[in-house]
Amino acid sequence: MRAALRWIRSDLRAHPTQVIVELLVVAGVLTALLLSATVLEGATNPWRGLFAQSKGAQIWLHLTHGTNVSQLRHIGGVTELAGPYTTTAATIVQGPVQSAVELREMTPKMPQIGRLLVRQGSWLRYSAPDGVVLEASFAQAIHAVVGTRLVVNGIDGPTARVRVIGIAATSDQGFYPDQTPGLAWVQRPVLRRVEPVAKHTEELVGIKIADPDSLNTSFVAQQAVAELSGAVQNVSTWMQVEQSMARGDPLLGLLLALFGLVTLGGAVLVILNATGGRVLVQLEDLATLKSLGFTPGQITDMVVAEHAAVGLAGTAVGVVATRFLTVSLLQGIPAAIVPAVVPLPALWIVFIACSGELLVILAAAFPAWRAGRVSAVVAVRRPLPSGHLSQLARLAMLSRFPPAVVLGARAAFIRRLPAVLTVGGLAVSMAVITIGLGVASTVDDVQQHPADIGLAAALTVSPGELNQAEAARIVAADRQVAHAYPSVQVTALLASGQTTITTLGLGTSARPYPFDVAQGSLYRAPGQAVASQGLLDLLHAKIGTFVTMQINGVPVIFHFVGRIVEPEYNGQVLAYGLDTLKEAGVESPPVYYSLVLRPGITASAARAHLLSVSGGRLDVAEVTNPAGQLGIIRPMLIGLIAVLALVGLASVLTASAVGIRDQLRDVGALRAIGLTPGQVMLSLISSTAALAIVAIAIGATAGLLVSTRLINLGAQLYGIGSGIGRPPSAEAMAVAILIAAAGATLTAIWPARRAATIPVAAMLRP
Amino acid sequence: MIARAIPRPVTAADEMLLKITRLTKVFKGSGPPVHAVREVSLSVRRGQFVAVMGPSGSGKSSLLHMIGGLEPPTSGEIWFDGVRVDGLSQAAWALRRRQHIGFVFQFFNLVSNMTVADNVELPALMSGATRRQARERRTELLAELGLSDKAGASPARLSGGEQQRVALARALANRPSLLLADEPTGNLDSLNTSDVLRVLRRVHGQGQAIILVTHDARAASMADRVINLFDGMVADDMDVLPPVRSSVAAAGVIRLGE
Amino acid sequence: MRLPLLALLAKEPAHGYELKNLLEQTFGQAYPSPNIGQIYVTLQRLERDGLVRSQDVVQATRPNKRVYALTKTGGEALANWVEEPSDAPRIRDDFFMKLALSPMAGATDQMGLINRQRRHYLGLMRGLSELASSAGDDSPIARLLIEGAMLHLQADLDWLERCQEELM
Repeated sequence: MRAALRWIRSDLRAHPTQVIVELLVVAGVLTALLLSATVLEGATNPWRGLFAQSKGAQIWLHLTHGTNVSQLRHIGGVTELAGPYTTTAATIVQGPVQSAVELREMTPKMPQIGRLLVRQGSWLRYSAPDGVVLEASFAQAIHAVVGTRLVVNGIDGPTARVRVIGIAATSDQGFYPDQTPGLAWVQRPVLRRVEPVAKHTEELVGIKIADPDSLNTSFVAQQAVAELSGAVQNVSTWMQVEQSMARGDPLLGLLLALFGLVTLGGAVLVILNATGGRVLVQLEDLATLKSLGFTPGQITDMVVAEHAAVGLAGTAVGVVATRFLTVSLLQGIPAAIVPAVVPLPALWIVFIACSGELLVILAAAFPAWRAGRVSAVVAVRRPLPSGHLSQLARLAMLSRFPPAVVLGARAAFIRRLPAVLTVGGLAVSMAVITIGLGVASTVDDVQQHPADIGLAAALTVSPGELNQAEAARIVAADRQVAHAYPSVQVTALLASGQTTITTLGLGTSARPYPFDVAQGSLYRAPGQAVASQGLLDLLHAKIGTFVTMQINGVPVIFHFVGRIVEPEYNGQVLAYGLDTLKEAGVESPPVYYSLVLRPGITASAARAHLLSVSGGRLDVAEVTNPAGQLGIIRPMLIGLIAVLALVGLASVLTASAVGIRDQLRDVGALRAIGLTPGQVMLSLISSTAALAIVAIAIGATAGLLVSTRLINLGAQLYGIGSGIGRPPSAEAMAVAILIAAAGATLTAIWPARRAATIPVAAMLRP
Repeated sequence: MIARAIPRPVTAADEMLLKITRLTKVFKGSGPPVHAVREVSLSVRRGQFVAVMGPSGSGKSSLLHMIGGLEPPTSGEIWFDGVRVDGLSQAAWALRRRQHIGFVFQFFNLVSNMTVADNVELPALMSGATRRQARERRTELLAELGLSDKAGASPARLSGGEQQRVALARALANRPSLLLADEPTGNLDSLNTSDVLRVLRRVHGQGQAIILVTHDARAASMADRVINLFDGMVADDMDVLPPVRSSVAAAGVIRLGE
Repeated sequence: MRLPLLALLAKEPAHGYELKNLLEQTFGQAYPSPNIGQIYVTLQRLERDGLVRSQDVVQATRPNKRVYALTKTGGEALANWVEEPSDAPRIRDDFFMKLALSPMAGATDQMGLINRQRRHYLGLMRGLSELASSAGDDSPIARLLIEGAMLHLQADLDWLERCQEELM
């Protein structure tokens, strides 16, 4: 009603700083939530982003060669056609490994519909007629990078040698190896070479429809098939592709969920504290309103409405900010995690925003209810619960501590609930910031010491066009290489007969690959092996267990002697010396070399050297550090810290306001006795600072205790294995603590200054 | 001049605005229970000006709070305008207060974050008046109380007397049947006290019923009736009639010279 | 009455009726005007004490009037009076005596005693209030006198309350 609106307007005008901070907290939290949801969505449902960016076609048809596709345009709802493109099936050979591939013929001119998103290298170009562009997931699966040379065999035997010139993402087909064959785009000469017989090729055509909902798509697809019956070899719709691409990424999901929960919790604390604090300051006014005729229900509604309004404004700001910041903030995320960044669907945004607003209302509800129950008797200001001078305060007084500081610090803790809420809010922020710093230091460590996660080797070298002996000679002779470990990668069949895992023979028992063993020891005799946490969990084994597996049909017994941290291969990998295989009688697969470089030599420099020495015929690849994918952590951390800083700021401001109001009477009396305005300021600032210092101490300690354990726990859950957790660096902690303490103190200065200059007489008036 | 206590004949034409019967208030706190008001019974007519005096702790304020619904009675009945109100919920009391009761307190109790104008308009807005109606009533009241130029000021900038006059304006905004004033001049100097008392006398002359709790004899002497509370009970209940003749004047109090 | 008359005569000599008029003008309604007989009696006493002297003035068509003037001794007495702080008690304690002694006198209704006195005070107060509003701005002296009386009445009422608290 009008009276309530009038009061709300006056109240908002009377406390502009607090209102703005509250608004910013809501906006910040909402932005953080929306961005997290965007990332999560992009990571778990990559199809949507890819499709949007590539302007994909909803239906793809594989047709027999020579089919007339113009009839398709007449089907109701069809707007455009892509292609037709000539395609043929082929095989990529890498030593013994054969991978099925579908070659698609394209030109250097990028199509309008069904574009390809080039991630590395370039698209097809006229200057490289034997160039091939591989689809991203396929390239990763066959360990191909830009510059890799591949051998492509046609079905009937012809061979082509190609060079990878680019890696691209597409929304036409699900990821490899969930969907086979892999996709590769080539120009006409290469296709002709691989499959000279036109009859054996197929036509690929894409259909774009006006109303792309699933029902309609199926309908159109059916019609297309009916139209071209007999010629259709394969149909795929966007629904199939979306489903195939969907994946759960537990680590990212976990991180983002934690992030979301923490920010939400912080926001709730802040609103609870801010509302409660504001009500505390206004008790007399509320009693007056009651005496005028406001019902308790009306007062409750009014307080909730006021904070709901601020929340709504904050929500609006948050949504707008997200719209503008999505692209710029999320640019840095590697495509492996989020193939394409697109804003969330509007419905989701509305849902998240409404949930946020609902939370604001809920957080304000309890203090608002308390406000409604305020006594209507407009008594003289209710006396504070007075504590007696505690031992600590007495001690401090006796020491040389300035009395103003002691008084202020003591006054801060008289009101239990607000003190607890303030300390809680700040401590939680501090603890989470500490954990964040721990994560940052872990990621730094992993990036700078790849040996910790088994990445001692920077390069892997395959013989390529040379033979084994030549390759070994070149590698051995290279001065930049500290040591070259002969390596094999073989699949092992577990005892259950159902599951296969990747196993790595790296080095020999006499000279094992320098894994950083988290538990136990490295393999030093044939039959010994080290395993990752994920594998141990899978086999319900631990260090000391013996496990039998089949490799190429030969049973091999492994003795687990150590645990390593391994993020790749889904966390399930086994490593041992090459001689183990020989002793077991397993036929040795092709050997490649894992090169550990001399300190100071960069991987790219060494690679360039090897390539030049071998005349480009040696196959040299850099080992990607999966921690690179964790590069998303840094921006997330910065965002988290910003939001937490806001939460801390809001808590401090509320504590300031409540503290000043409580102490004003006492301070007035003390000033009348002789405390200077400077001392008054000191006292008021001390009360806020005392709360802040206690909170920071609690938060930092809790964070330090929990941080490493938490990170290791997460790594263990994900299968990487515990052992990578690192505590936050001492410098980072010192800086964070100093900034937090200084920030809290500085924030308290402005209101304290205003309060200190109030004339004494005004302070003493009831 | 001697004030005579005349028993007033009850006629059918008299309507009781307020009738309280055996009203009791017991405060139970951390110590022994405090009997603030003990079985007080009295009636107030429309337009009557009643002053309530008594030492501190005699229960005056508690009585007033109960009449206005700010405090629930421990036992007893309150009848307001023929309706029994002592058992009403806080919400129902609030609605009553809006329309029928105006409150003035010792410490002014203006809403601190609203301007004078907003403070005075608040009751009108709460009763459903339009913005224009509320503004008109506010302008009228402030003019009557000599505060027109302070409409946009914040309460903190006004003197005590001005604040109390604003509080009066606010209390009278909805033309309440009953004005309850709890030591309204307690915090004012003699000049401001005169101003406030002048206003009270004027509105009483216009027919406003007033119950005034006060220590100030001047204020009490303006009333039609003075009730004296002692230890929670009515010790005296007298009608102060206008003086028959103004004779001895100050000499009744002060003797000049020997 | 002695000293006010001396003060008035210090300005200029005057006879009885002039002094009466002057007194009325000064205190107005706030104080009862003095009886002419009282004034003459006081003047004679002052003359007897040597503080004033009188002189008959012959008037043509009227009876003689006696004009009084201040003597030198009278002037000194006046100066002393002005200089010394006044110490006369202003409290009327009849009531308190009644209250304190009433139990012994056999009167048991102390509350009634207090109530009657209070009613009296309030009535006086009401009279003074009305006087104050009608006195207007003519005489600041009159107004101050009334205000002083009201303050005293308030103090009396407060004391009454204290008595009630202590003795009941």
